[in-house]
Amino acid sequence: MRTKVKTIASEVRLTRVLDAFAQELVDASDEEISAAATDLGMDLQKWSSAFAGVTYPSRPQLGDFFDLEALQARLPTDKKS
Amino acid sequence: MPTPTPDTAHMPSLVDKRVIRPAQTALALDLVNEMDLLRLKAIARVYARGLPPEVTWEDMLQEALTRVLVGSRLRPEGVPMVAFVAGILRSLRADYWRRAIRASGNHDTVRIDHENAESLEVVMSDPAPGPERALVALQELAAIRELFATDPTALQIIDGLGQGLSAEQIRRSTRLSKTDYESARKRMRRTLIREGLTCEPR
Repeated sequence: MRTKVKTIASEVRLTRVLDAFAQELVDASDEEISAAATDLGMDLQKWSSAFAGVTYPSRPQLGDFFDLEALQARLPTDKKS
Repeated sequence: MPTPTPDTAHMPSLVDKRVIRPAQTALALDLVNEMDLLRLKAIARVYARGLPPEVTWEDMLQEALTRVLVGSRLRPEGVPMVAFVAGILRSLRADYWRRAIRASGNHDTVRIDHENAESLEVVMSDPAPGPERALVALQELAAIRELFATDPTALQIIDGLGQGLSAEQIRRSTRLSKTDYESARKRMRRTLIREGLTCEPR
C-alpha cells in the first residue's frame, strides 16, 4: 500500500511542477524572452533557430530541399504493379 | 483528329504545395505574435516532459494551434490566447495518458491528434499510473532538479510546488523573504525560457 501511495505521488508531483512552470512561462514578459534569446545568441528574426519546431520543422525534411513530386515523376515506375 | 493530352508529369505546378504550419497560420491571422509563439514553444516543451519519444513537443504545439484554428476549442472571453493554448497543451498531455492507460490492454498505438468525444466517456480501466509512468515521473523530477542544481532556493521552491504548496506556504516553510522568493522565481523563469528556446527536438 505504501508503494502505491508513493508511485501516485511522483506523477502528481510532476504534474504540479509542470503546471507551475507553464504558468511562469505564460507570465514571462517579452523582455525576459528577448534577454534569454540574446543569451543564447538568437536574433529572433523570422528564421531564427528560436522558431525551430514552431514556424518551421526542427528537423530538416527532404521536401525542404527537393521538389519531391518532380523527383517522383522522373523515377522509373515498376511495370509489374 | 485525336485530342492532344498534356504531359502532366513534366508540367510545372500551378499552385504552391508547401504546407503552411498551424503556427504560421495563427501568426498570419494575428491570433498570436512571435513572442507568444516562443512562450508557447517553451510551454509545449514543459508539457512534453515525460512523454514517450514519439510524442514530440512540436507535434503537441501544432496540434494545440490546429484545434484553435479549426474551432474545436473555443477561447472563453477574457482568457489570453497564450494561457488558452497552454491549457490545450495540458489537456493533450492528460489525454495522452488517459488513452495510454486504455490502450495498454489492447496494445493500440496512442497518438495525440485523435480528437473525439473520448474524454466524455467513462473510463473503466484502472486510473492509477502504472510503475512505468511513475518511474518516468521520478526521472523527469530528477531531470528538473538537475536543471536547477546550482540554485538551492529554486530547488526548495520546486519541492514546495510538488507538494502543492502556495507561494505563501513555500515562503513560510523555507523562511524566504518575499524579495528572495521573487528573485528565485525570476531566475527559474529565465532558465525555463532558455531551456524552452533551444532547438533540440525534445
